[in-house]
Amino acid sequence: MTDMVQRLRGAGLPVVSKRTRTILIVLAVCVIAPPLLARADILSSFRASVIGYGACFALMAISLNILMGYAGQISLGHAALLGIGAYTSGLLTGRLGWSYLITLPFAAGAGALLAFVAGLPALRLRGLYLAITTIGLVFFAENTLYQLPWQGGGPVMLPRPVAGRFIFLIDGDFLALILVTLVAFWWLDVNLVRSRLGRAFHAIREDEQVAQSFGIDVTRFKLLAFVISGALAGIAGMTYGHLVGTVASDVFDYQFSLLLVTFVVIGGLGSRAGVVIAAFLFGFFPRLLTALKDWDLLVGAFLLIYTLAKHPGGFAGAIREGKEAKAAKAARAGLAGDTDEQAVPALPRTGLAPAAVAADAPPLLEVRDVQVAFGGLRAVDGASLTVPRGRIVGLIGPNGAGKTTLFNAISGFVKMQAGQVIYDGTSIQDLPPHQRAAMGIGRTFQLVGLARNLSVRENLLLAQHSHASYGTWHALAATPRRTREERELDERARAAIASLGFERYADVPVKHLSGGQQRIVEIAAALSTAPEMMMLDEPSAGMAPAVIESLAQRLRELRDDLGRTVLLIEHHIPLVLDVCDEVYVLNLGKVLAHGTPAEIVSDPTVVDAYLGSAGVKA
Amino acid sequence: MGSALISGIVVGGIYGLIALGIVLVYRGSRVLNLAAIETGTLGVFIAWALIEEAGMPWMVGALAGVAAAALVSFAFERLVVSRMMDAPRLTVAVATIGLGAFLMAFEIKVWTAAPRFLSHPIEGLGPKILGVHVSPTQILSLIIVAALGFGLAWFLRRTDFGLGVLAAAQDPVATQMVGVRLWKVSAFTWTLAGALSAIAMLLVEPSIGGFAAGTLNGLFVPALAAALVGGLTNPSGAFLGGIVMGLIDQVVRQWFLDVTWLPGVGTMAIFAAMLLVLMLRPQGLLGRART
Repeated sequence: MTDMVQRLRGAGLPVVSKRTRTILIVLAVCVIAPPLLARADILSSFRASVIGYGACFALMAISLNILMGYAGQISLGHAALLGIGAYTSGLLTGRLGWSYLITLPFAAGAGALLAFVAGLPALRLRGLYLAITTIGLVFFAENTLYQLPWQGGGPVMLPRPVAGRFIFLIDGDFLALILVTLVAFWWLDVNLVRSRLGRAFHAIREDEQVAQSFGIDVTRFKLLAFVISGALAGIAGMTYGHLVGTVASDVFDYQFSLLLVTFVVIGGLGSRAGVVIAAFLFGFFPRLLTALKDWDLLVGAFLLIYTLAKHPGGFAGAIREGKEAKAAKAARAGLAGDTDEQAVPALPRTGLAPAAVAADAPPLLEVRDVQVAFGGLRAVDGASLTVPRGRIVGLIGPNGAGKTTLFNAISGFVKMQAGQVIYDGTSIQDLPPHQRAAMGIGRTFQLVGLARNLSVRENLLLAQHSHASYGTWHALAATPRRTREERELDERARAAIASLGFERYADVPVKHLSGGQQRIVEIAAALSTAPEMMMLDEPSAGMAPAVIESLAQRLRELRDDLGRTVLLIEHHIPLVLDVCDEVYVLNLGKVLAHGTPAEIVSDPTVVDAYLGSAGVKA
Repeated sequence: MGSALISGIVVGGIYGLIALGIVLVYRGSRVLNLAAIETGTLGVFIAWALIEEAGMPWMVGALAGVAAAALVSFAFERLVVSRMMDAPRLTVAVATIGLGAFLMAFEIKVWTAAPRFLSHPIEGLGPKILGVHVSPTQILSLIIVAALGFGLAWFLRRTDFGLGVLAAAQDPVATQMVGVRLWKVSAFTWTLAGALSAIAMLLVEPSIGGFAAGTLNGLFVPALAAALVGGLTNPSGAFLGGIVMGLIDQVVRQWFLDVTWLPGVGTMAIFAAMLLVLMLRPQGLLGRART
């Protein structure tokens, strides 16, 4: 094969990539094999339709997996989206006589529109709300939408498509069309996962706050996941409808929706191959189980509960668990020498121009009289602070003083009852977190703020979310623009990994790294958002004392070489005294003292409230 | 309109019972119990078999049905939910789909898919209130719903174990410190939810007409809408929500009685109410803004 490619290259013929070649071969098999086998009497009409059902279920599973597996949002009424697609296609092809292919975008559009309308109220919130509204949606669709008199109120006929003189009446022929649709779905899904959209979905599933800290508009991307899922569901429902031939209002009901959720969870959330295999099995099994007479449902339900209790991750999860246990073992063996790293490696500088700081520049951040209360407890009670450009400002205080809450107020994760946050001359207290991140406020979290199941490289790509601008269509169709922008992101991520000296861990999921290594990757990721100001929440936590000294060096580089401004929460007082230009001491939600490190250590109230003997030691 | 208001309150109280079960389970184990309706349906089937087939008194059959539903729910919690402590909550929710499917399959196996009819607990027209007859079943419903509502409110707020149930979700450690075992809280909420669902189904079924496996699932929509009014975690809010949804359902149906071009207005109105609550007060009508 290889020398054939060589020869072709030599002959100046265009050579397609391995992936494109695989797709073309699979497509050819899907188009040619079923009609031929059907005509050779090998593929009976019954078998063709059984495989067709399986393939339709796979289309539906891929659609739902995008929403549930990737973005972590639950739809319990996905059948409504299938139904609207089937009804749309039924009205356009059956009643109006439109052609199948022209109807396709309308079915997709109807599914996307319904998803948008139903998803908008629920997806602004975090939690199970989409699951609940979609239950309402599926009953609304069944009782009202499909029954409206303008569509006759009764069942809708979906005729088989006609292409010229070629009619898809033979089940084998129509199967070819379904399989082509399945390949197309697979392709779109692969493109999606490899794009900034797929990464944003994944980040949202893992931790919405972390996603926002990378500048991801969480509501928008959750809605986008549902709309894409809805469009694919519209097509899947249409395909299923044309396979069955007639669709009544009770076909795409609540039970059907639950069945789809079952495919996806049993197959393994987020595993494309897993959910497709599960869908095919479910498509086949009710027929294979007929030997058990009508015990099949009972046995099936029991197996479902049993499987989930044993393997909560589904098929794919069970396989992955096995693989990961092995990989983690290997990684531990390989990383054994590194767990006690001696120093914080150099921070990446790519994509960051040193910012010049004028001596008389106004402060970068001003926090005025901020109040944050949880119930009756005032976590931050009228705190004010100023962060001048190009300085490292420390924020210290005893546990529960409100340091992290103040951080969250600045980055927008908690609601302030009163006060003002002014960044770079603009009031930002009413902006959502992702916009604040996009304005140049980068931050790290006390518990490492990374997508733990993604690799180091993927996290560094994720962090550059706002630096790529290609949209949904470019992502789904893998256009050259997407490829170009992704290559740029990838180069920057690789450069960052190289400067950290982390090449070996580039493809290791972050959760397998040591605490200190995770912290470094997190800082590198926060830097990849190219922030003007870095807010670091206890960067030294989990680091060995020897390593912390080199952290001080890195922080100074951040200020002196890269011209960044740093706001630092730290418990390790020697580090604070070493690197900070100014220090604020927070106690009981109020600023207790403010000054240079030297002034702070000699302030009796500070020593009394917080430093104690620690200050003396320094 | 008088009859719509009265039946709205009656039906609403019943929605409130189901919502209460959903909220308690959600508080106790962060799981959306998708088998809530089908568990109650099993209770109705058992009651039907004892009352209509074995000729037992209504109350005896009903109590047996409630006990059966409570037992199924308890067994599911012990055998499945408690063993999935570390599993993602979504997976547990899907396991409840499995329970629902299992119960449906069981019901079809034993009683077939043909519709069954459960008689009213007390027959007759009943007294006239606001110019309409209030049936004995409706009066019985109101009494049972009110007794359960106030009784549970007292139990949850005034007993140590009840407070433990309310606190378990937010502060498991404190709950254990006051001597309430977490496993008991979880088992209690599931058992109670099973019983509440069966009681609700028994009260509402005679006015719906025939029932079969899976046909009562539509009650999920108003029950969930009611739970949303309580912000998914507030029991009294869920109860209030039930009444609100019952009134919306019945009044809107009354308005659209002569409109044939728009089918399913009851469900539609409740779906709309659901979206409205989420848009305007996602923390629930009684809930405080969450951070």
